[in-house]
Amino acid sequence: MQRRGRSTLLALAAFLSASALAAPAAAYDFTLSVRTIGQGYQVRRFAADGSNELLSRRRLTQYMDLAVFDIAPSAWRGDDGDRNLLYFDASLRFDSDFGGYMLGRPTGPDEIRELQQNQFDILYAFLGGRNVGGRVDFQLGRQIHFDLVDFFAFDGGDAIFHVTRKLAVEAYAGTEVRGELPLSAPIYELDGTSAGSRDPATRPAQNSMLRPLVGAAVAGGSDGGPLFARLAYRRVWSATADQLPGEPDSGVNDEKLALTAFAAWRDRIQAAGGVRFNLLLATFDDEQLLVKLRTFGRQWLTLEHAYLAPTFDGDSIWNVFAAGAYRDLRASYELALGPEVKAYARGFARFFTASGRAGGGSLGATWRRGRGLVRGDGYWEDGYGGRKIGVDTSARLAVRRTFELEGRLTGYGWRGDQSSDMAVSTSDQGVVFGVQGGGRWLLGQGVRLHLLGEDNFGTYYLSQFRGLAVLEVDASL
Amino acid sequence: MKRLATAIAIAAAAAAGAALGAPDVRPPSALIFPAETVPIVFDHAQHARLGATCEGCHQAAPASTSAADNLIPGEAACRSCHKIDRTRPDKPVAKGQGAARCDACHADSKGGGWMPSEMGTLGGSPTSPAKGPAGQSPSVPMRAVAGAEPPRVALAHPNLKFNHKLHATRGIACALCHASADTQQTSVTRLDLPLMASCLGCHDGKQATARCSACHITEPDGRLKTKLVSALTMAAGGTGPLVPSGSLRGIDAHGPTFRRDHAQAGRDESYCLSCHKRNECIDCHGGVVRPPDIHPSDYVSLHAVDGRRNSPDCSACHRTQTFCVGCHQRSGVASDPEGGLPGRRANNPFGTGTGFKTFHPPGWARDAGGAVISTPRSTSHSLAAKRNIRSCASCHREESCLACHSTDPARGPTFSPHGPNFAATARCRFLAARNKRACLKCHGVGSMELSCE
Repeated sequence: MQRRGRSTLLALAAFLSASALAAPAAAYDFTLSVRTIGQGYQVRRFAADGSNELLSRRRLTQYMDLAVFDIAPSAWRGDDGDRNLLYFDASLRFDSDFGGYMLGRPTGPDEIRELQQNQFDILYAFLGGRNVGGRVDFQLGRQIHFDLVDFFAFDGGDAIFHVTRKLAVEAYAGTEVRGELPLSAPIYELDGTSAGSRDPATRPAQNSMLRPLVGAAVAGGSDGGPLFARLAYRRVWSATADQLPGEPDSGVNDEKLALTAFAAWRDRIQAAGGVRFNLLLATFDDEQLLVKLRTFGRQWLTLEHAYLAPTFDGDSIWNVFAAGAYRDLRASYELALGPEVKAYARGFARFFTASGRAGGGSLGATWRRGRGLVRGDGYWEDGYGGRKIGVDTSARLAVRRTFELEGRLTGYGWRGDQSSDMAVSTSDQGVVFGVQGGGRWLLGQGVRLHLLGEDNFGTYYLSQFRGLAVLEVDASL
Repeated sequence: MKRLATAIAIAAAAAAGAALGAPDVRPPSALIFPAETVPIVFDHAQHARLGATCEGCHQAAPASTSAADNLIPGEAACRSCHKIDRTRPDKPVAKGQGAARCDACHADSKGGGWMPSEMGTLGGSPTSPAKGPAGQSPSVPMRAVAGAEPPRVALAHPNLKFNHKLHATRGIACALCHASADTQQTSVTRLDLPLMASCLGCHDGKQATARCSACHITEPDGRLKTKLVSALTMAAGGTGPLVPSGSLRGIDAHGPTFRRDHAQAGRDESYCLSCHKRNECIDCHGGVVRPPDIHPSDYVSLHAVDGRRNSPDCSACHRTQTFCVGCHQRSGVASDPEGGLPGRRANNPFGTGTGFKTFHPPGWARDAGGAVISTPRSTSHSLAAKRNIRSCASCHREESCLACHSTDPARGPTFSPHGPNFAATARCRFLAARNKRACLKCHGVGSMELSCE
């Protein structure tokens, strides 16, 4: 599969390169962004004898983002040039780990997607259209979406019909992107469905089934307008793998109805919220309400309520276990102390429906002066899960337009509230201090280099180094 | 709880009241209006009192179609009132007439009045030029100096689109946007230019378009251009990318907590995509580099506290089934369930699950004698599972639960994970109607429970 993935990438790159060479004869343009990320770091591990050891990770990640726009002939685009806009947008990723972390990883039927040494993902790749016929936006191909329904990806088509300037209806259909499918990222793996299990009772074969998906939404309001609301529905299902007599032909994996809304009165008061009903489980599993008020000048008070009940894929038994949920009350205050300093304070209280509480807060400020920026944060949390307290200070200085220095100092302590008999300690606790330093260089038009080094020390080790190098090259044709 | 709610309600009411009358005072973005040099001294208020009109001096403004146009009047516009004689830099004028001295309007680099270099700067300030004895002009006339030029106006191109002509033809008065100009006793600088909030008074989607790109410059793909840093923006304090100030939606203000708290603002995907590319979302929500401001150094050590509490919400970026399980397997934390079930791994490749150590405290699932706990206790796993079952899923697969919660006695105990009267609940009916496969993992085909009876 890896070989096939690389071949696909090469073929795509060759096709696009060939297309790019022919650009002078066409009216469309390209932007190509290539990002190479190298990381070396260590992960703490409990060795078989219970001792503490560090595993090395040596990761090399290559992104290639390509956008081709103004594909449609200019004559189609109308007098203002904003009609019938066609474009292509894609993001590809190849990730590899050469470190000892991957040695002895499970393979074959025990393989865990996250522990593949080489992985090629098409994060998204679609042909899009905007303002087609003055009414329609569409996307065709692999696409990702973020809304209260979820963060999800699918291969298929999505069309938005603008009924009026402030009313739009949307429909989409396709097959959901799954971690199990070729060329898809493990972030799309579903939770609770026993990937990698060899227990037939957990039906691991179900993970490899295609999952058709349909969805629809109606949205009112306009971009940047004072009112916005969106009602969305999504249903995902799959045929039964290895069906036995008496078993259903198919089952619903996900079915949700979500309403999100936003309202603003000038730049003084804003309210945003959403509620999601899980039709698979007959329960509201996500409720949010946020009110933000500008109190004085550039001071903001934000009050938020959130309720979240964990749910899983429709094939998971954990949906019937997951009776618990939590409710959060959060508040934050942000203020600008003159043009250079911004400060904030935030706090939250969490109430678990199954008993138990947690809470905490943080304080911080940023000071931006001239070419420099200094930020300091302190936080403290306690309650269910354990206690943590820490500080984080960071600074950036633009030495030149083409060169920026950065640094960070962190320190925190924690104590988990669940004791174990792991050999390293009778309870999970410790302190860690970290120091980071690096720089960002603009090497040329669209060429940037980011180098960062980090070293940590504390209860469990005297040194834990992490290095990061990012090379970005943007090109437009 | 009730006290907390009351306190929040009072605070909200007080804040709402204050919000209604709070003025918003801030300078325009240095990224939009970079540093400029305007070595001119000009009292707008005085000229307005004398009857000068905006168009009378800024004659090019009504026809300007670009924000990059220099609309500061040239000397010719001043000459209609100021009898300037370039051969006499210190030309005296009668009382009541417009000043004609160079340093009446031109400033040098130090803010003093500018005069041709041979004569030097006479001291004082441009608004009160140096005078001779008893306030009279010097008795010896100054001579013009060939080639002497006052410091010139240098305007940076704003990173904005603006068509004065379009606004003028629609009858929009200058003062609607430049409200403070005619009361300004000093030169108007970039600090006095209109803020976006004033634009939104008309650009509300009804009276005029609310499209961001109507004013903001864009990338070739239509997104707003946010990388605007230049030497001139840096000179005015403009570094980093252009970010929303909150003028438009409030919750979109990219303040100090936005990276952590942007969930609500992010609900309107199309709005975010006005500036961002999709891959910027993936960089965090599925990326390969740990964001240090979200997860501090060596987060692996700390994450268990956050994970159990689910704060921040792990599922916003990670899938427990792969991300957590994979790393937990490799780091020796997770264990595959033991036992002689069919297909069970005989030997975990990472050496875990050997029974050498257990992660959970005594009494979690078995008592000190090794017997399975049949009645939940405060230290047992059921409470943790009810609080945050995702933390269980970070190490365990369903088969861990099936070992004791299946109806198949061959597996072991058959403790029901369902609450009381589960069969009568809507959850049972909805789940059974949509996906019986999950039920069949514990219940046999044809069993009564599958019909929620």
